Amino acid sequence: MFRKPVDLVGAAAFLAFMAALPLVFRSNYLIGVLTVSVIYGIWAVTWDFMSGLTGRENFGHSLFIGVGAYTAGFMNTTFGMPGWWSLPAAMVMAVLFALLIGLPTLRLKGPYFALAMLSGAVIMQRLMLIFWEHTGGEEGINGLTPLIRNQLGFYYFALATLAAITALLLALARSHWGLILRAIRGDEATCQAAGINVTFYKIASLTISAAFAGAGGAMYAHYQLQVSPQLFAVVTSITIITMVYVGGMASIYGPVGGAILLVLLTELLRNFGEWRLMVYSCVLIAILFFVPGGLVAPTWRRIKAARGWGP
Amino acid sequence: MNPLPVVLNATRRLRRPTLWTLAAVGAMLGFGLAAGEASAQAKTIRIGVPTAMQLQVGRDTQDAMKMAIDEVNAKGGVLGRKLEMVVADETENPETGISAIKKLTADEKVDVLIGGYTSGVTLAQLPHISAAKTIYLNVGSASPSTNAKVKTDYDNYKYIFRVGPINAAHQARQMTGFVSGFVKGELGLSKIAIVGENAKWVQDLVPLLKKGATDAGADVRTTEFFDSQTSDFSPLFSKVKDSGAQYMVVILSHASSDIFAKQWHDAQFPMPYGGIDVKSMDGDFCERIGAKSVGEMAANFAVRAPLTPKTIPFFDEFRKRTNRAPVYTAFGAYDAVHIYAEAVARAGSTDTDAVIKQLEKTSYVGVPGTIEFDDTHDVKPGTATYKGPSFLFAQWRDGCKREVVHPKELRTADFVYPSWIKK
Amino acid sequence: MLEILIVGAVSSAIYAMLAVGFTLIFGVARILNLAHGTFYALGAYGAYFFTSSFKLPLLLAALLAVALVAAFGIAVERVLIRPMRKSQLAMLMITLAVALVVEQALFLTFGSEYRNVPAFVDAKFTIGGVSIGGARLLALGVGVVLIGALWLFIQHTRMGSAILAISQDAEAAQYMGIPSDRIFALVMGISAALAAAAGVLAGPFLTVQPTMWLLPIVKAFAIVVVGGLGSIPGSILAALMLGYAETIVGYLISTSWTEIVSVAATLLMLVVRPAGFFGRRASF
Repeated sequence: MFRKPVDLVGAAAFLAFMAALPLVFRSNYLIGVLTVSVIYGIWAVTWDFMSGLTGRENFGHSLFIGVGAYTAGFMNTTFGMPGWWSLPAAMVMAVLFALLIGLPTLRLKGPYFALAMLSGAVIMQRLMLIFWEHTGGEEGINGLTPLIRNQLGFYYFALATLAAITALLLALARSHWGLILRAIRGDEATCQAAGINVTFYKIASLTISAAFAGAGGAMYAHYQLQVSPQLFAVVTSITIITMVYVGGMASIYGPVGGAILLVLLTELLRNFGEWRLMVYSCVLIAILFFVPGGLVAPTWRRIKAARGWGP
Repeated sequence: MNPLPVVLNATRRLRRPTLWTLAAVGAMLGFGLAAGEASAQAKTIRIGVPTAMQLQVGRDTQDAMKMAIDEVNAKGGVLGRKLEMVVADETENPETGISAIKKLTADEKVDVLIGGYTSGVTLAQLPHISAAKTIYLNVGSASPSTNAKVKTDYDNYKYIFRVGPINAAHQARQMTGFVSGFVKGELGLSKIAIVGENAKWVQDLVPLLKKGATDAGADVRTTEFFDSQTSDFSPLFSKVKDSGAQYMVVILSHASSDIFAKQWHDAQFPMPYGGIDVKSMDGDFCERIGAKSVGEMAANFAVRAPLTPKTIPFFDEFRKRTNRAPVYTAFGAYDAVHIYAEAVARAGSTDTDAVIKQLEKTSYVGVPGTIEFDDTHDVKPGTATYKGPSFLFAQWRDGCKREVVHPKELRTADFVYPSWIKK
Repeated sequence: MLEILIVGAVSSAIYAMLAVGFTLIFGVARILNLAHGTFYALGAYGAYFFTSSFKLPLLLAALLAVALVAAFGIAVERVLIRPMRKSQLAMLMITLAVALVVEQALFLTFGSEYRNVPAFVDAKFTIGGVSIGGARLLALGVGVVLIGALWLFIQHTRMGSAILAISQDAEAAQYMGIPSDRIFALVMGISAALAAAAGVLAGPFLTVQPTMWLLPIVKAFAIVVVGGLGSIPGSILAALMLGYAETIVGYLISTSWTEIVSVAATLLMLVVRPAGFFGRRASF
C-alpha cells in the first residue's frame, strides 16, 4: 500500500518548511533547538511504531536511547573511533538490549509490560551511576567529537534521517506488517490461532524500534557532545510518550509534529523565566484535555477531509 | 425565543477545542519567537547568567549579580557602558543547560557568561561555550575537570575561568587539614568515618581525603557512599556506628542534608559530624529543620566576619536587599561581576582575547578572600601565607547561630559537643 | 537484626499506605493515577503550610491537609479524569500533567529547598536495644490502623460491598443500581486521603521537596503490579517485600544498591509471574 499523493505533498511541504526555518530565522540557537527536536522526533516515531501499533506501551524507551548514546560515548572517547562508527554500533547494541529485555517480557501486556520496560531503563541508569569509575557517573561522558561540525549541516542531516526513518516505518506500518501489529493489539490469541507468528512480530517491532532509537541516541550524543545518565531516566520516556500522544497515537507521522511542538514550546517559553515549566505543564493539560486524540495527526486528517483531498 | 441555541449553533465552529488549543499554542510560540529577538542596545555590556533558576543557588546568584551590577552602574558603568543581565534556566539537566548556553550566546548575544552550579551541567556546556568563543566565569561547580582543558587545549578553552568555589581537589586538602588539625589535633578523635554522596566530585575528593587523613595519623574506620536521592539514612548511620568511629566526616552537596541532620538529631546519634555540607551553608538551614542541626560543623566559604574588608558590607547589603543570608554561589557571582568589569576596564574594550589576558592577571579582593587564577584559570585556594578563599568550619549553636571554630585564627567560639554526647 | 526488622516495618507501612490507595483506585475505577504521588506530596506540604503559616496545632493541620487533599482528588477525578475514561492512556497522561502542574506550583510557592514538617512525636524510643524515632513508630502504627480500617470497611459495610462489586464488574454493578460515579469519587477520596496521610506521617523524617512525588509513584506502581493490580492483600504483601528488601540491602550491602535490587526483583517477578501475587490476569 502506498501513500496517497496528498500525503506525500503534505510531507514534502512540511520538510521544506522545516528546512527553510533556520534560513529565515538565522540563529544558531534556533538551529540547536530544532536539531534536538528532530532527534526527539526520531525517538517519538520509533516509540509509536512499536507501542502505538501493538498497544503495548513501552515505558522504558529511554533504555534504547541511553544504550545508543553511551555506546557512542564509549566508542568515541575510550576507543577513539570516529563518530560515524557510532551509529551502526549504537544500533547493534540497542538491538541486543531489545532482545535482552524483549524476550523475557513477551507475554506481558498493559501496565505489566510498561513496568517491565521501565524497570529495565531504571536498572541501566543505576548501573551507570554505580560503576561511576568507568561511566563518569553523574557527570557522564564528556568530550565527544561532533558528527558534523557545521550546525546547519548537522540539522539537515538529522532532518534527513528523521524523514528516512519516518518513511520507512510508515511504509512498514501501512504494509501487512502494520496490519498484523494492529491485529495483535486487537486480539493476540486469535492471531496466534490463525497461525501468525506473533512472537516474531512482537520482537521484530521492538528491535526495529530500538535500533532506530539507539541511532537517535548516538546522534544526540555526537550533537550535545556529552552523555549523561539522565538519558535513561523515567522522565525521558514519559516525555517521549507525551510527544506521541500530542502528535496522535499510531499515526507514525503525528509524533514528529508532537516532538517538534513540545521541544519548541519548552524552549520558547524561556521568556516566562521561573514560570516556564508551569506554563508548559498547563498548556500540556489543556492539550491533553481538550484534544485527547492528539493535535497533529487528527488536524491533518481533518484538513484533508474538509478539503476533500481523500482519506 | 431562547437565544442560547442560536448563539451556540452560530459559534459552534469557533468553540471547537482544537482551534483554540492550536491558537493558544501558536500564540505561545509566537510570543517566544518574537520576544526572543533581543532588544539589545549596542551600548550595554550584556552578562548572560546560566543558572538553576528554581533553586536557592540560582536565586542567590541572580540577586548577588544584580547587587554588583547596580554598584558598577552607579559608578558610571564600564568604559561608559552600563552592565545588563540576562538569565537563562539551566536546571540540573545537561540538555537544558546546553540549550541555555546556546540561547545566551547565539540568541541574546551576551558578552560574557557568569553562572553555573552542577558540575555535570557545566562540563556538558564547555564545548558549546568554547564554540561560541564567549568568556565563562564559573561561580558554582567544583569539579576540577571543568578547567582541565584550559591548559591542554588553551586556544579552544581559554574562555573558561572559575571564580568560585575552590575546586574539589583543593577542598579535599583543606578538609584533610580540618581532620588532622582539628578533629584529631584538637578534639583528640582519631577514629573517623567518611560519608559522602554519590557525586563524581565527591568520589574524586574522598580518596585524597582518605590518604591525607591516614597520613596525618587518623584511622579511617569506614567510607560509605550513598545516593543523593536517599531519604532514609538509618542503614548508613547503623554502619557508621558499628564501625567504631568517633567522628563522622561528611561530604554532601545535592543530597538531603536537611533530612540527614534531622535524622542524626532524632536518633541522637552518638558522634558529632561535620565536613562539607553545601545545604548547611544556607543561612536558614538550621531554622528550617527545627534547630536540629545544632552541633554540626559545616564548611563555609564565607560567613559574616571580617575575612576581607568586603565581606561584612556584602553580607549586610545582601540581607538588606533580599532578607536572606547568601549561599556560596552569591560570593562568586558578586565577585565575578566586579572582576570582569575591572578586566574590561584594564583591557580598554570588550574584545574577548584582550579581556582574557587581563582576567589572567586578576588580583581582586573579594568576599571570601583574594581572588587570583592559576595557570588553569582556576581560583587559587588560601594557604598559611596567601589570603585566598578557604574553608571556614562553623558550628551551629543554640538559637541557630553560627560560630567559626576552625581555623583557630578566625575562631569566634570553642567547639561544643551535641547535648546528648557526654564527653 | 532487630533494627532491620523495625526499620523495614516502617518503610513497608509507608509503602503500603501508598500502594493500597493506588491499587484501590485502579481496581475499582481502572485509573492508573500518576498523580497519586502528588497527593502524598500535598499531604506533607499541607501539614507544613497549616502549621507554619496559620500556626494551627499539628493534629488539626494534619486532618485539614488530609481532608483538603481528598477533596482535591475527588475534584481531579470529576473534572479531569472522568471525561477521559474512554482511554487508559489518556487518563494516565492527564494525571501525569496534573502531577507536573502541582510540582511547579509547589516550586513557585514554597521554593526548592526542603520544608520542615513537624512531627507528632519527637522523642526517641528504645525497643530491645534498638533506638527508633517516635515519628517512625507512629507512621508504622497509624499505617497499620488505617489499612486495617480500610479492609474492615470494604469487607463489612454496604458501601464496601458496592466498591467490591464495581471492581469486579462495573456494568453489572450499575445494573444492580450501584451508582458507579459516586463510588469512583468515594474511592478516589479514600485513595487520596491515604496518600496524604502517608505524607503527613512520613514528612517529618523523609524528603519534603516539590519533586517528592515521582519516586513514591514509581515505587507504588511497582508494588501494585507485583502484588496484583486491584488486590489489596497483594499490595500489602508486596509492600512488605519491597520495604524489607530495600532495608536489608541497605544495611548489608549499601544504599546505592537498594534501588537496583528492588527494581530487579520487580522485573523478575513480572517475567516469572506477570499477574503478580494475587492478580487475576496479566491483562485486561
